[in-house]
Amino acid sequence: MLNRRRFIVGAMLIAAAVSYLVYAGIRTTSMYYFDMDEFLAHRTAHVGEDLRVKGWVRDGSMQYDAATSALSFELSKQDGSQPVPVTYKGILPDMFAPGREVVVEGRYTGSALTAKQIMTSCPSKYEPKVEG
Amino acid sequence: MIELGRLAVCLALLSAAFSVVMSSVGALRRRSDLIRSGSHAAYATFGLVVVAMAVLLRALLQHDFSLEYVAAYSSSTLPTQYVIAALWGGQKGSLLFWSFMLTFFTTLVQLQNRERNRELMPWVVAVLMVVAVFFLGMVTFITDPFERLPRPALEGADLNPLLQNYWMMIHPPSLYTGYVSASVPFAFGMAALITGRLGDQWIRSTRRWALFSWFFLSLGNLFGARWAYEVLGWGGYWAWDPVENAAFMPWLVSTAYLHSVMIQEKRDMLRVWNMVLVLLVFTLTIFGTFLTRSGVISSVHSFTQSGLGPYFIGFLLAVILSAGALVAYRMPELRNPATIESFLSREAAFLFNNLILVGIAFAVFWGTVFPVLSEWVRGVKITVGPPFFNRVNAPLGIALLFLAGVGPVIVWRRASPKNLRRAFLAPVAAGVAAAVLLSALRVPLGYAHATFALSCFVLTTIVQEFWRGVQARRAMLHESAPRALSRLVGKNRRRYGGYIVHVGIVSMFVGIAASSMFRVEVQQPMSPGQQMQVGKFTLRYDKISTAEDAHVSRLMAVVSVFQDGKQIATLEPEKRLYKKPQQPTTEVAMRSRLTEDLYLVLGSFDPKTQLVTILAYVNPLVSWIWIGGVILALGTAVCVWPSAAERRQEAFAMGAARVPAE
Repeated sequence: MLNRRRFIVGAMLIAAAVSYLVYAGIRTTSMYYFDMDEFLAHRTAHVGEDLRVKGWVRDGSMQYDAATSALSFELSKQDGSQPVPVTYKGILPDMFAPGREVVVEGRYTGSALTAKQIMTSCPSKYEPKVEG
Repeated sequence: MIELGRLAVCLALLSAAFSVVMSSVGALRRRSDLIRSGSHAAYATFGLVVVAMAVLLRALLQHDFSLEYVAAYSSSTLPTQYVIAALWGGQKGSLLFWSFMLTFFTTLVQLQNRERNRELMPWVVAVLMVVAVFFLGMVTFITDPFERLPRPALEGADLNPLLQNYWMMIHPPSLYTGYVSASVPFAFGMAALITGRLGDQWIRSTRRWALFSWFFLSLGNLFGARWAYEVLGWGGYWAWDPVENAAFMPWLVSTAYLHSVMIQEKRDMLRVWNMVLVLLVFTLTIFGTFLTRSGVISSVHSFTQSGLGPYFIGFLLAVILSAGALVAYRMPELRNPATIESFLSREAAFLFNNLILVGIAFAVFWGTVFPVLSEWVRGVKITVGPPFFNRVNAPLGIALLFLAGVGPVIVWRRASPKNLRRAFLAPVAAGVAAAVLLSALRVPLGYAHATFALSCFVLTTIVQEFWRGVQARRAMLHESAPRALSRLVGKNRRRYGGYIVHVGIVSMFVGIAASSMFRVEVQQPMSPGQQMQVGKFTLRYDKISTAEDAHVSRLMAVVSVFQDGKQIATLEPEKRLYKKPQQPTTEVAMRSRLTEDLYLVLGSFDPKTQLVTILAYVNPLVSWIWIGGVILALGTAVCVWPSAAERRQEAFAMGAARVPAE
């Protein structure tokens, strides 16, 4: 019987280690995921924090300098209102274009988003609209 | 024709439901006539689904754009192999494909067990047909692939260009095969619980199926990784995307099951645990399908929101509740008083390996559903990304690798100091020597260092096992070395096949550790004639060339690659603009060697100045991952190949079963 108890202790230790890794991992790496409305409402509380913000690339706001790979655009609500400037250095994702829905991962400086990563998802990716 | 497809699906649904009722009532009342009609109905279901598949395939091949599905996922200019791939490329088709695989496997199981498992089989068929009813119900009522457009389209919208790729042809079918075949062990497990025949029989009957499912899950994951690596152009192969996780979790639990089942066969322990693992694998495959289909969690893969979510949740809950209730009901019979005697035993090593695998699955699950949970609980969405998964899983992976060296060579029950010395002296010495050598080579201490050293440890245990086996046969039977080796493996296929699989896994570990710790990444704008340096390679951008056909227009940067002043390759990373749908894609150019991959992406091109931005990666040892996959496949083939003894037994069993009938 002593052995069974020792094994339960061993198993508990592994379970505890996994739980601790998960807990510590979430504490140190998690970030808020906001849509544009949530971001606009809460942004002052999250200055200097890593965030993900989902919004739309405002028409006419996109500027890309191929020589320096510097991208700037405005992230806005779908109708183009309440824009927030975004800067990014790197290669343009294939699906990035004005009017598209994108998720910006980066830091909010108080006036603009400094993007580390831009994720595009084409809403029609797997269920394309049929012209007919 | 289209109406025939729809009719076939409806009839298949009815026939599957009929089979469920007949099989279970027949089993309860012990009426062999009812059981037989339940079995026939299951065969019929398969036939009907085949008809539906054939109708959809025909519509695709004939470009019948009056069908919504055909118009949405193909076009008249799409190459034929991708037209066929469109069969499973979209949501509606993929659910029909799922039903097809499920009813096909049901048919195989029935044929395999014509003369066997008479008590279990009616319930196995009933359970499989319950699952079929669920999927066929979806196909009939929610996602009808035979839906017509109000007005036929003139031309189709085409398959997503990202999916027009060789790996994408084989990745989804492999994964579906792995997913769907997990239903077979599940059905046998449920049948064992229902009938109370909880002995080894159900486990022995599904051993091959479990391995088969595991194997295709492995392949599906690897093909997916390979596809991401070649097509997505971000330099990596695994992003911990929810959909990748959805395929990874059942693989982890399935791996755990393949190990723990050996303890049950050998020592008749862990019966509850094994049952739970089998049920869990199936649950996770359904959960994975749910994740991909529901759009609950945002992912690059996600199919758009489609009212499927609630049905999947309902089915998932029904599965968990019924399986859980059955396990609880049979608990007294499942328990076994035998205990593990010592930490220094194979049982203990396997048990810890199981806990870690399930622990990893749990961590992955938690990270995947965390955004949804946090939204429910706190009203805000909090996400975790790759850093979370890497941080949590790296130490667990290292522990797992260590156990992969311990488990196979430590003795059952209790190892004595003498056993331990004999088993571990050489491997530990090799591991320590490797660690010292790595430090001398200035490999920084960390996960990669540990992975390499432990890999040496594990490989030495495996080589030692082969070596000792061969030596023993040579000494006792006076066989030549090659003959001794082939006999050794032939007589213990599962054991030595398993070792070969382990070699494959070690190779993957090494590839993953090296490519994630020592990747070099440089991004640089260049005018024609300019050079850039990445790792040991010098790249020179020569010019842009273009090409165009009906389907796609292509823009290629011609890049010469130099090493030590000598030109070693010319690579052409390209941008493609697919004409329909208008979508740009990135085509990676790669020079793949055993030591490293040079991986080039054309980031941007400015026609006015001819300026390009090249993104260059040097990814060390990535090919070891794919090579590991090939070794894994070889090892699995060794495992499943029936041994001579098994073939004899099989023939005998069939003969014996036939005698009374004659």
